[in-house]
Amino acid sequence: MKKTFLARRNALLSSANISWGVFALAFAALLLLVRLLAPNLFWQAFTPVFHSADALAAQSHAFFSSFGDTAILALRNEQLTDENTALANENQALLERVAGFEMLKGSVSKKASESIIAGVLARPPVSPYDTLVLAAGAKEGVTVGQEAFGPGGVPIGFVSSVLPDFSRVTLFSAPNMMLQGWIGRENILVTLFGSGAGTMRASLARSAGATEGDTVFTSGPGMLPIGRIVRIDSDPSSPAVTLQIQAAFNLFSVAWVELRDAGPAFAKSFSWATSTLP
Amino acid sequence: MGDFNASMMRGALTLSTFVSIVFFPWPLSALLALAASFFEPLVPLAAGIFFDTLYYAPSAHGLPLFTVCGAVVTAIAFLVRSQLSADSRREF
Repeated sequence: MKKTFLARRNALLSSANISWGVFALAFAALLLLVRLLAPNLFWQAFTPVFHSADALAAQSHAFFSSFGDTAILALRNEQLTDENTALANENQALLERVAGFEMLKGSVSKKASESIIAGVLARPPVSPYDTLVLAAGAKEGVTVGQEAFGPGGVPIGFVSSVLPDFSRVTLFSAPNMMLQGWIGRENILVTLFGSGAGTMRASLARSAGATEGDTVFTSGPGMLPIGRIVRIDSDPSSPAVTLQIQAAFNLFSVAWVELRDAGPAFAKSFSWATSTLP
Repeated sequence: MGDFNASMMRGALTLSTFVSIVFFPWPLSALLALAASFFEPLVPLAAGIFFDTLYYAPSAHGLPLFTVCGAVVTAIAFLVRSQLSADSRREF
């Protein structure tokens, strides 16, 4: 009688060749299932992991910084301290002026009491879609559509999804993101496109005279700085130039954000680009 | 002993890919998944699913990009492996 050997019938599942890939796939599928069925539980389980990732990043940064030249570091530290003092003074003066304007206007700003401070669990470049995962959700009063501000009141994105304890912010630099903005002191109106990795780009007529270092503003409560031009790509055959814009601060190291309702004007100022747009 | 070491190496590479997704920038994770595909073709797909489980924002992108890319790399890895095993059988 002919005997049939089935040892290699299914190489992936045979006991002799238990595949790590199968384990990995099963693990990923299980996590996906938990994420879909109980998203809040999923993020609660992963919060300590993200915190340890943050701690590891901070420790490794301190370790590699220790190799730097101490004299240069001391000089830089002194310069930054001076700069920080000057900025704090300037900020104080501006706050006083704002308070004066509000008194003249007869209205007291209520935004401070309505804002929510949220810690950041995951950020680019670990999070590849230019999104932030925040440790604050519906229980803290976060709602979809709120605007997110970074340190210094810089607008960085908007709340795109909310769970009871967690929420997700999509950054203005996310691909397919379109945002209205202004450039420089002349307030040249431009449309900003998200390019990923914390950067944006915009096209502008060459004759507009934008230069590297110009500040880019967007609407919020007033005009708010969102970034600055770091490079201008120019094609001699084209009447337009492409501006490469970097966020006003390092999005890769943001530790907390402030969430506020920015009103319908903010919602109108951005939209998703379709795939046919650049 | 050699098989055991190879299996442990494959396991370490798989584990490193998953740890990297949480701890390190995504290009490193993608590189590790690509390297793991030489030994474990299913790892890129698993890593892609894990990536999108953690970070995918439906409002930002139509497709879960990393899952799609992982599936493509896994398919290519299986194709290459089947071609190589067919070639080696033909030599005998």
